[in-house]
Amino acid sequence: MTTTNIEQKVNETWGKPFVDNAKISIRNMDVFYADKQAVFDVNLDIAKHEVIALIGPSGCGKSTFLRCLNRMNDTIPICRVAGDISLDGENIYDTNMDPVLLRARVGMVFQKPNPFPKSVYENVAYGPRLHGLALNRAELDDIVVTSLKKAGLYNEVKDRLHSIATGLSGGQQQRLCIARTIAISPEVILMDEPASALDPIATAIIEELIDELRKNYTIAIVTHSMQQAARVSQRTAYFHLGRIIEVGETSQIFTNPQHELTENYITGRFG
Amino acid sequence: MNNTEKIKKSLNKRYRKEKRFRLLSLLAVLTGFACLFILLVDMIIKALPAFIQTEVKLDIHFDQEKLELAAHFEPEELQNANFRGLIKQSLQQRFPTVRKRSDKRALMRLISVDAEYQLRDKLQAEPQLLGETVPIWLLVDDDVDTYLKSDKQFGRVSQKQIAWITELEQQERFQKRFNYWFFQTGDSREPELAGILGAVMGSFYTLLVTLLLSFPIGVMAAVYLEEFAPRNRWIDLIEVNINNLAAVPSIVFGLLGLAVFINFFGVPRSAPLVGGMVLALMTLPTIIIASRSAIKAVSPSMREAALGLGASKVQVAFHHVVPLAMPGILTGTIIGLAQALGETAPLLMIGMVAFIVDIPQGVTDAATVLPVQIYLWADSPERAFVAKTAAAILVLLLFLVAMNGLAVWLRKKFERMF
Amino acid sequence: MNVSTLLVTLVALALFSYVFGKQRALSIAKHNRRRLHSIPSYYGYMTALWCGLPALLLLFLWLCFETVVIEQLLIASLPSDIQSLSSGQLSLVLNDLKLLATQDLMDSHTEPMKREAVQYLLSMQATSHSLRTILVLVLAFAGAAWGLSRVIGKTPARIWVEKVVLFFLILSSTVAILTTIGIILSLLFESHRFFGEIPPQDFLFGTKWSPQTALRSDQVGSSGSFGAIPLFLGTLLISSIAMLVAVPIGLMSAIYLSEYASPVFRSIAKPVLEILAGVPTVVYGFFAALTVAPFIRHWGETIGLDVASESALATGLVMGIMIIPFISSLSDDVISVVPQALRDGSYSLGVTQSETIRLVVIPAALPGIIGGILLAFSRAIGETMIVVMAAGLSANLTINPLETVTTVTVQIVTLLTGDQEFDSAKTLAAFALAIMLFISTLILNIIALYIVRQYREEYE
Repeated sequence: MTTTNIEQKVNETWGKPFVDNAKISIRNMDVFYADKQAVFDVNLDIAKHEVIALIGPSGCGKSTFLRCLNRMNDTIPICRVAGDISLDGENIYDTNMDPVLLRARVGMVFQKPNPFPKSVYENVAYGPRLHGLALNRAELDDIVVTSLKKAGLYNEVKDRLHSIATGLSGGQQQRLCIARTIAISPEVILMDEPASALDPIATAIIEELIDELRKNYTIAIVTHSMQQAARVSQRTAYFHLGRIIEVGETSQIFTNPQHELTENYITGRFG
Repeated sequence: MNNTEKIKKSLNKRYRKEKRFRLLSLLAVLTGFACLFILLVDMIIKALPAFIQTEVKLDIHFDQEKLELAAHFEPEELQNANFRGLIKQSLQQRFPTVRKRSDKRALMRLISVDAEYQLRDKLQAEPQLLGETVPIWLLVDDDVDTYLKSDKQFGRVSQKQIAWITELEQQERFQKRFNYWFFQTGDSREPELAGILGAVMGSFYTLLVTLLLSFPIGVMAAVYLEEFAPRNRWIDLIEVNINNLAAVPSIVFGLLGLAVFINFFGVPRSAPLVGGMVLALMTLPTIIIASRSAIKAVSPSMREAALGLGASKVQVAFHHVVPLAMPGILTGTIIGLAQALGETAPLLMIGMVAFIVDIPQGVTDAATVLPVQIYLWADSPERAFVAKTAAAILVLLLFLVAMNGLAVWLRKKFERMF
Repeated sequence: MNVSTLLVTLVALALFSYVFGKQRALSIAKHNRRRLHSIPSYYGYMTALWCGLPALLLLFLWLCFETVVIEQLLIASLPSDIQSLSSGQLSLVLNDLKLLATQDLMDSHTEPMKREAVQYLLSMQATSHSLRTILVLVLAFAGAAWGLSRVIGKTPARIWVEKVVLFFLILSSTVAILTTIGIILSLLFESHRFFGEIPPQDFLFGTKWSPQTALRSDQVGSSGSFGAIPLFLGTLLISSIAMLVAVPIGLMSAIYLSEYASPVFRSIAKPVLEILAGVPTVVYGFFAALTVAPFIRHWGETIGLDVASESALATGLVMGIMIIPFISSLSDDVISVVPQALRDGSYSLGVTQSETIRLVVIPAALPGIIGGILLAFSRAIGETMIVVMAAGLSANLTINPLETVTTVTVQIVTLLTGDQEFDSAKTLAAFALAIMLFISTLILNIIALYIVRQYREEYE
């Protein structure tokens, strides 16, 4: 297939971007950094209690896309977002939408584990305490323990809840960051390559955890690893140069991609 | 109540806190601005009177007899002639009712002690005035000057003096003119005669010594540390030393100068030479640190290119690296010299605090510098010195602004080159 | 010839030697290019260095030791009864003689002994000066001749010159160490003499400071007591007030500038605040003494407080203003080192900006901020001009900021300015105070620099 053929086909999204029970729905989204456009006309639904994987070569805009879903890009002054993004039908870029509240509802786990230089306990208790989610110390303790348990970290750290979190191993730190996020019970968790800085064993634990978390949360995960996307997600969207090329059931995307670019990517011809 | 509602409820209060915190931090910045603004405005207001000097017009009769000169006199005899008598005579004619000795003295105190030298100079320049009566503008004493400038709210003039001043004023015998004198003379006990030229020249010679010592030594040390030094403990020790010297209290450098330069090596006290030496030691860390970062910024490819053409390491350093790093080195040097120009404490320790009237002519003459002059005047009891001090401060700040401006300009100009 | 003329002559001779050396090398090269090891100008440099360096070294040594040697010779010539005087009195006699010699003050009333000594002194000085000129010039010519004789093809002039250059580079880099050694030795030496007269425990733990030593033994209250506790306490009081002013304002400014301000505002506000750091301390001293202190006194009177006219409060306040930019720029530096990832982690939990700053950014930057505060504190206790001009001289043992206190630096200045002889306990006390000051600032600096370096390594 020639290049011109591919160019012609990137302007529309193949597959099934829309679902019935959407938690987040994105329509005609463009993102600009100053004059440079990073994301082009993206349309996508993220269903309740699903794990959607966003894959694609590096620099394709998938991380930028993810950060726009809880307005983390607000911290970058030159970043501008256009289009409609709604959470449960509310436009999250509406002037009435409070970004702080939005971020409490749509949590985020980052590529590199970024625990605060405080104790393990304080890391998890940080959010609930600020948001006033616990009425007393016992309730707070309860939230911390539950969150650590949910993140599958409790047994490993129960003896050193009060030692500094930066002393944990990379995988433990990342699970702590997940525990920190679920401590405030968000509705959606965005994960930006959460296992890319980890070793295979830690990665496997994180992947199991993601599968577990699906029962209660909606999860969007950006990943470099196609195997990981195949293992953890129900749906997969393929990004290319700021556009979503193809969306579909994960099994279908990996076994029977419809778009040439998707096939090239998953067969390892580029990416 | 679910989590979202709980969070929503907490948010109002938290946003109020956010606003308060942000306001508070903005307020801190504005407080800093306000301090600077108040400081500058205070100095300017205090300094303004110093730029104006009052003169009084007296009709002086150049009476040969009163001058105690013989009919035929040598020009040198004019030096010691009784010009004070002329002023006395003129004042007596103006105020014939003043009889008591103490009153006469009080009357004389209206006029600056320098007035008689003004008359002498006048007569020396125009000998034909001898025997004539001419109106001449003479400097008034600083107390009268201050009284006239401060809306007559000043207590150091007596009631009688006030009456005379008022009379002179009604005859329109006072005039105010720009005080160019202030920029032309050295220090004096009399505020109306004190100027800053001596201190400016002292500062100039001191900084000259500082520059001549600290610039070559600083640059050479930086070149050695960046281009030649091996990485070992000795070099680490030198680096720790340089960083520490930059933070040693300046007064300690003064004690070093006193104990080593003056008492041990016998360098003359109070001179720009020893002052410059002490300030050079203080400026060195600034110059070394700035030069090192400028040298570090020169791209290694420049060195490799020169080495590849067969240049020796010394040639590379002095033909290529140092010229390229020069703007950065000069910027650091100017900033270091600006700090040295404002430095006072170490100079007090090495005797640059003496009262010196003459304008220094070289680096071994006794001298004082601008900041020390400010310190000396600030300590003087006469009210008129307050304005002089503030004026000297403005001059000092002006020099500092000029030097820092030059540094910024240099940096901007050569920024694009790299 | 006086020193400056001699220097100019030497420079001129060195220039000539350069030209001659280069010419000679060129003439060798004319016959055969291959015969020269280095390019001709290096032979010029070599000759110039041979001409100038030994002569300069001799001149330098001469100037260093001239005074000492002449003094010793003068003492040796004096009658034995004067020689046996105590060192203090002897130096008085010497000073007297020197004064007579320089100012030409001798008249018929001068004692014949002194007259003789002064004449001897003057003749020695004259001899020294002419001997100096002759020797230095002879050495310069000899050096130039030797250098020229070495301008032959096989001399590796470039390598030789570069070795000399490298020697001077190394020498320059040791100046910093020599300065530190000079400071330590001079302070130690003089304070050792002080502690010979005053026991260290009296100095360190005594609570009464009145350094006037008695002129007559029957004078009241002038026995001279050197208890430095009031000075230490006064220094701490004023510095603490300064820190109380500077730390909140400086830190909050840094927070606003690094976290909230727009780039334009930041680019203007930062340099404006730094002007405060560039204002000479003598200006702050004047401001404190003539504007702030009267203002506070007046303000105190209106609310019925008795404020001293040289109150610690006014001094500390102005010192605090001076320190604001130090704290703000040091804090700004360390705050900007805190990784954005930590802020992102906090924001992603739905935390407001001020909460993030207070609970994540500042705690993470705390070691660096503390390092900066320690540096600023060391600056505050070493600050001299503000306290000399605005704080008092009376050594009160108090922590009331409305009263007058005195500080270590004020006392050093007071003890060493004015006409004192150098050897009395009073002047030596200044060195003992200075060594306390030096040690405490040194410790603060070392700790602060260590903390800041550790902090930077953690995040970089």
